[in-house]
Amino acid sequence: MRRLWTLAGKDLLETRRDRLSAIFIVIMPIAFTAFFGLMFGSGSDRLALGLHDADHDAQSQQLVAALEESDAVRVVPKNAAELEAWIADGRAAAGLLIPEGFSAAVQAGAPAELVLVGDQASSGAQAIVAEVRATAGDLVAASRAAQVGVEAAAEAQGQTGAAAADVPAFAQAVATQAMEEPVVSLTTVAAGAAAGQIPTGFTLSSPGMLVNFIMFSLLTAGMAVIMERKNGTLRRLMTTRVRRWELIAGKMAGMFALTFFQQILLLGIGQFVFGVDYLNDPAALLLMMVALSLVASSLGLLLAVLLTSEQALVAAVVITSMSVSALSGAWFPLEITGPGFQFVGHLLPTAWILDGLRGIVARGFGVGDVLPALGVALAWSAGLFGLAVIRFRLT
Amino acid sequence: MSIVEVQGLSKRYDPPKGVLAVDDVSFTIERGEIFSLLGPNGAGKSTTISMLSCLLRPSGGDATVDGHSIVGDAQAVKSVIGVVPQDIAVYPDMTARENLVFWGKMYGLAGVELTSRVDEVLELISLVDRQKDRVDKYSGGMKRRVNIGVALLHRPKILYLDEPTVGIDPQSRRSILDGILTFREQGMTVLYTTHYMAEAQELSDRIGIIDHGKMIALGTHGELVKIVGEEARVDVAVDRQLDGMVERWSGLRGVSKASVEEDHAELLVDDANEVLPHLFEEAAGGGSRITSVNVSEPNLELVFLHLTGRALRE
Repeated sequence: MRRLWTLAGKDLLETRRDRLSAIFIVIMPIAFTAFFGLMFGSGSDRLALGLHDADHDAQSQQLVAALEESDAVRVVPKNAAELEAWIADGRAAAGLLIPEGFSAAVQAGAPAELVLVGDQASSGAQAIVAEVRATAGDLVAASRAAQVGVEAAAEAQGQTGAAAADVPAFAQAVATQAMEEPVVSLTTVAAGAAAGQIPTGFTLSSPGMLVNFIMFSLLTAGMAVIMERKNGTLRRLMTTRVRRWELIAGKMAGMFALTFFQQILLLGIGQFVFGVDYLNDPAALLLMMVALSLVASSLGLLLAVLLTSEQALVAAVVITSMSVSALSGAWFPLEITGPGFQFVGHLLPTAWILDGLRGIVARGFGVGDVLPALGVALAWSAGLFGLAVIRFRLT
Repeated sequence: MSIVEVQGLSKRYDPPKGVLAVDDVSFTIERGEIFSLLGPNGAGKSTTISMLSCLLRPSGGDATVDGHSIVGDAQAVKSVIGVVPQDIAVYPDMTARENLVFWGKMYGLAGVELTSRVDEVLELISLVDRQKDRVDKYSGGMKRRVNIGVALLHRPKILYLDEPTVGIDPQSRRSILDGILTFREQGMTVLYTTHYMAEAQELSDRIGIIDHGKMIALGTHGELVKIVGEEARVDVAVDRQLDGMVERWSGLRGVSKASVEEDHAELLVDDANEVLPHLFEEAAGGGSRITSVNVSEPNLELVFLHLTGRALRE
């Protein structure tokens, strides 16, 4: 095993000395993350809430204004038909319908009804439910408390002495009783399972460019193997007591370490420079990092094993990284694509990993939520590594 | 006592119809000797050394190195051999010291033993002062020395050198040959492959001549030369057509073989001093004038020519 780590360490040392690698591993991903993040609009990580106000009265408009002030949701006004379409194709995490008569109910002190349309299993929709419930609850409660105060004051006008002194306590008692009753009833209506948050800004670009450039780093990792084969060191290694499996595993460990280190760097910059909250769930994040490095290193090993020239590797890595990134949703969210494209994308482990990463950042994903992505990545890695072992040759 | 025993070793690439690179080769190498495999490019030298290094699995036969079978106990064989490949197989973007440390670890060295052995090898290859320079900054000869140094780290019982002097300057070649002679003085066994006759002649205790995958002759330099007897080779150029002259010369007493080779005639003669005057006489009688004469005493080149009918081109 010691030889395995020595091999991996040697590969990392060589990569560190290759100045060109730094461009692909560090500089370009950061530049592209910033570019795409700004292009897709920064600061818009709030959950998109499609909203249709059918009431158009004082209280409904107050509610809309309060939601627009929210840090958690981003209100996108829509008519009823548009609202349905937005939720169906996943452009909004949920839709809020304010029915006609909402304001009248609030003014009458009757329970007010709101209709929330969305995928109830979606963490995005659940977060919106909580936010709408809180905002509407505050609004209606305040309105009701004001009414109670007005009624109590009116009643006090006809009283004197000790009775008048009891008015504040009376008002408080009525308000408390009113607050114990449900102030707003939120009816949730199930919508398509695609409903969820569409990532934007750095939430979109940071994980996307991470996957994109981890795929690009296969060039550095694969080139190391091709150069070793070319200059005869791979063959020479086999004249030492290194076993074949140690050699292959050592090469893969080197690639794994390189891509993992690259991830730490890029995720750190994403977290602390671009404000993408990767540390929402560190354990889930670690699993996704392991998954991505496993997929990348096994793919890199296979490419290096199958290809014999630097030119062929460059072409293969460019084609692979571009197509994998595009299909996986690294450049644009898969949610805005059709079901066919999404299906094809999810044949690749990187699409699952991106779902996992963006879920951690924007939807509160935990370890349990990313396990499917980890499973897909492990299966792919095992297959790619197996093929590489079968086809591995020294010359 | 033999350290290497090769028995009927064969290698066919892409069987059953691929090239038979090594064909039923057998030989032994004694402890402490320098044994050379001499042959032209493509003769099967590198394939033989690859099999003895456990890089290639033989198609037939077996060999033991220090008592370990190359087929059945590759790990044990690898622990007693040091292999110097023909190409410089070290990492150019690492320093000499980093390379030696890395390869030392691959050979299983660690800790103080590794450090002290790296120091010793750096001394041996005269690169102590340049040990912290990257190998890609070295001259060709220095790179060759690192290439050899790597194979010495684990104190192998036998050192395989596969054409280590190809494409290098005379000074570096001299340095490498002197180094190999030093290894023998220190008791190391050396298996050396080359297509340079002079190197084989200078270095070797015994020489195996290999051609088209077959061992065609084996012995000390003296034993091999005896194959062609006391014959010398005489290369003669004339100012007219050679064909007629060669016919006349081949009938002379003391000339055992005469042939046309490009722009000159090649003759094998018993005694050059005795035959030469007659060559001039015959040339004059045929209306030709000899423009140059070159006499080669019996050597490995002649042996190869004698055995194969072809020259062993350097």
